[in-house]
Amino acid sequence: MGCDRVRELVAELAIGIADGRERDAAMRHAVTCPDCRQLVCELSAVVDDLLLLAPSHEPPPGFTAETVARIFPPSPGFTAETVARIFPQPAARHRRVSWPAARHVLPNRRWLPRLAAAASIVAALALGAGAVYQGTSSDRQLAASYRAVLAQGHGSFFVAAPLRGPAGTVGTVFGYQGRPSWLFATVHLPHSSGQRFAVQLITRDGRDVPAGSVVLGGANQAWGAQIPVDLTTLTQLRFVAASGQITMVANLNASSPWGPG
Amino acid sequence: MADRPVTCTLSDEALLAGLGSGDPGAAAAFVDRFQRRVFGMTLSVLQDRQAAEEAAQEAFVRAWRHSSTYDPRKGTVAAWLLMIARNVSINMLPSHRSYPVDPGMLRELQDPVPSQGPDGQLAPVSEPMRKALMRLPAEQRRVLVLAVFYGYTAREMSEQDETPVGTVKTRIRAALMRLRSELGVSDEW
Repeated sequence: MGCDRVRELVAELAIGIADGRERDAAMRHAVTCPDCRQLVCELSAVVDDLLLLAPSHEPPPGFTAETVARIFPPSPGFTAETVARIFPQPAARHRRVSWPAARHVLPNRRWLPRLAAAASIVAALALGAGAVYQGTSSDRQLAASYRAVLAQGHGSFFVAAPLRGPAGTVGTVFGYQGRPSWLFATVHLPHSSGQRFAVQLITRDGRDVPAGSVVLGGANQAWGAQIPVDLTTLTQLRFVAASGQITMVANLNASSPWGPG
Repeated sequence: MADRPVTCTLSDEALLAGLGSGDPGAAAAFVDRFQRRVFGMTLSVLQDRQAAEEAAQEAFVRAWRHSSTYDPRKGTVAAWLLMIARNVSINMLPSHRSYPVDPGMLRELQDPVPSQGPDGQLAPVSEPMRKALMRLPAEQRRVLVLAVFYGYTAREMSEQDETPVGTVKTRIRAALMRLRSELGVSDEW
């Protein structure tokens, strides 16, 4: 193949749509022809710049965590259950969730594994930080490790707080401040059948931000949602029964994010 | 509401190197930095959010696997990654995909201010390139977009548009050469 033929094909070569045989022949020529090689390189650069025009779109929540988990899979035993073990709060025994009325906050059930995956990633990093602490007994190193955890979480913070009911602690709430921010609650409710709760977010300025509703109890022992407000502005997560009674509350002291409120 | 915290000022190349070395922190930062652009690319090609998410994740996995093949002399990390995302997306398109007479990507590019992530992820070259692309004759612009973003070959477009394959090839080549020529005088922008 000569220069003339390569120059006919050069655009398709640069774009990557040339026929396989023609491409091979053209590239063999380009290897020995500096002018053709230069032209292919220049047009490839134009194609690169064209690709940069692709519009940006916000991926689904939890995308980063899921992707990193796909690249670096958690250890086989590392699941959402592990999250509860790492944070010494009563853990949920079930992970199924139902949130039919919360879809304006939580579009579909694909969120739950996203949130669990995100929680797992952050918790895995926290576990790593904990390992450093055990090995060194150094508060400074622990702090450094937590800063690393924050960096992993895109510079945001992660909180955990007990979820309390009338008879004591009934679960744990995990909160993540990031893009997006989210809350994930695991509960241990004895009800044989589920009970519907309205979910409320209480902000520091006293606003009540509805976060949909959920049936908890029985097989459904978890709730999760992206939250439409900054986690630092929240003081409480409430689960309100149909009677209007505030049945479960978690105090979210985000100004002191490393401890439950 | 707190704005996006600044967590990393490492270069794209440094983050890619960290990703390739197996550093989860670098991986998270790398994905975070490019996720909107990669997802934007896969969504534009696939037009389905679920498929686009799968493709975008696969693109990052491939970037991790093949990070050692990245050569900064041949282009930016963003372009390299977007090419991967494009290729993954094209491979995921159904074999009997419908031929886009009016490609969605082309419509989006007509926007004077292309969609841009909250972190301003748009390369400086993009706006001059977009303008240059929009100045191309419509038939050249269309086949170029179909080839670059959707992976259509000249023969496929020829058959679909009932246009001689030579004409399609000429349009693609003329379009790319003209962009090269226009962007080669970038000082005039």
